[in-house]
Amino acid sequence: MKTGILSLAVVTAIALTACGRPAEGSGRVVLQNKGSDTLVNVAQAWAENYKDVNPGVAIAVTGGGSGTGISALINGTVDLANASRKMKPKELEMARANGVEPVEHIVGFDAVAVYLHENNPIDSFTIAQLADIYGEGGKTDEWGHLNVDVPGCNSSEIVRVSRQNNSGTYVYFKNAVLGKTGEYKLGSRDMHGSKDVVDLVEKTPCAIGFSGLAYATDHLKLASIAADDKSAPVAPTVASAMDGSYPIARPLLMYTAGEPTGAVKEYLDWILSDAGQRIILDKGYAPVRKLAE
Amino acid sequence: MFESTALNDKNRRVEKLWRLLFCAMTVMLVVPVLLILGVLVVKGGPAISMDFLFTDPTDGMTAGGVFPALIGTVWLVAVALLLSVPLGVAAALYLSEYAPDNLLTRIINLAIINLAGVPSIVHALFGVGAFVIFFQFGTSILAASLTLAVMTLPVVIVATRESMQSVPHAFREACWNMGATRWQTIRHVVLPNSISGILTGVILEVSRTAGETAPIMFTGAALFLPYLPQSVWDQTMAMSLHLFVVATQVPGVPEHLPFGVALVLISMVLAMNAVSIGFRMYLRGKKKW
Repeated sequence: MKTGILSLAVVTAIALTACGRPAEGSGRVVLQNKGSDTLVNVAQAWAENYKDVNPGVAIAVTGGGSGTGISALINGTVDLANASRKMKPKELEMARANGVEPVEHIVGFDAVAVYLHENNPIDSFTIAQLADIYGEGGKTDEWGHLNVDVPGCNSSEIVRVSRQNNSGTYVYFKNAVLGKTGEYKLGSRDMHGSKDVVDLVEKTPCAIGFSGLAYATDHLKLASIAADDKSAPVAPTVASAMDGSYPIARPLLMYTAGEPTGAVKEYLDWILSDAGQRIILDKGYAPVRKLAE
Repeated sequence: MFESTALNDKNRRVEKLWRLLFCAMTVMLVVPVLLILGVLVVKGGPAISMDFLFTDPTDGMTAGGVFPALIGTVWLVAVALLLSVPLGVAAALYLSEYAPDNLLTRIINLAIINLAGVPSIVHALFGVGAFVIFFQFGTSILAASLTLAVMTLPVVIVATRESMQSVPHAFREACWNMGATRWQTIRHVVLPNSISGILTGVILEVSRTAGETAPIMFTGAALFLPYLPQSVWDQTMAMSLHLFVVATQVPGVPEHLPFGVALVLISMVLAMNAVSIGFRMYLRGKKKW
């Protein structure tokens, strides 16, 4: 009987000491970095490499989508929120109401590539054509409407692959292609992750999908995009994203609560240094500036 | 002695048919398990090595090992067990041994059953709201393990209560007649005789805790963290989330890697289960009825 009470007391004591312990004091600084699935792999690569630059700072990286990162910033649970879209006015308002002043940092650029099955004969789209395929009220539902016959696609139906609605890619594509007031057509396959889009399009001859250029594989076709009928189509590449000639390229962002200081500032400075920017280039995104050879 | 009649023969044939049918269904249950294990071993086997178990992931998680995730899962399971087992066993003790059969008890029972039916993603959101934000534990092992503990409490409570109630009532009466108090009866008769059932509950909890992804991905698990957790206030990597990530989020992962992660995760759970199953068998051998 005594042992029973004793063990109960021990458990309670452990629980209490655990609760009473302050969060700081382990000596190592841990930065919370959360958000965009587009940025998650480069964020992970930065974190992995920063271990060698500054062993005293650990970066905990979590994905979930731009929306997840931004709401974590609003709630004050992250140091750096990754986003592949700008914060909406309503989100800024909520942040300020919580006493958080979000500061935006551009850490790179990403071309949103339009992916096709490798057998698809189409080489390029105009933005208007894409809007007809993806947008509400758009008339293009079959590959036949574009006067192409896709080998292996028996029904001729265009299988539209899109993203879940808290994805920054989803929001960016909507604004850039469908216009500010445009809405997506119903019936698209909404994937939870950039890689899932690419995987599905790779296996589906009828499919079209959009996702960051960094997710390109050898078994896919990347369509060139023309801003309108008069301009020439531009292929999605790191170079065309950087010089702005590719029409659907976007800045990749990190948000901090207030101007960064201390370890957060050092980490951001390193990300924007040549060493950090070479990593983002390695991952298939465009750096913020031309890097020295 | 007896001639079998036509009716006897028919009954016997029908009997045989039913037995075969039930046997076939039982075998069908085993098939997926064997297939899963087989696929994991064949496809994930080549990934497994000492290095895989004991090094950090490298090259953007397309190479290297799973060490931080492995240790993280051990942390999460251990802290969750530490929180939920004492609480669950105490609650089950009260419900089985003390609680009168009244409206309140029935409401409590109903709540437990409903808690068991809540989807894990809802537990995750509850964990974010309650532990991460309201109690200000931040995204930490503590918040994640608390969420897991809340999620698995019904398993522990139900298993413990069932096993306590399977102890024959005559045992208790005999004990009371010797002048023992309720607590003495529980301590010396009910608990020793139901410990194997309690362990079954714990086994179930361990498997579920180690495998859950949703409740931890917002409350304490990081996609990547190149350090081992030092205390319950740290974030951590976890095997289940790591598997999700290498399978769906990272481009260019060699095929054997996700299968290797899955194989390690399932072996971990089986190993933890094996320990408690062994212990349970030892205890059951000492059972007196």
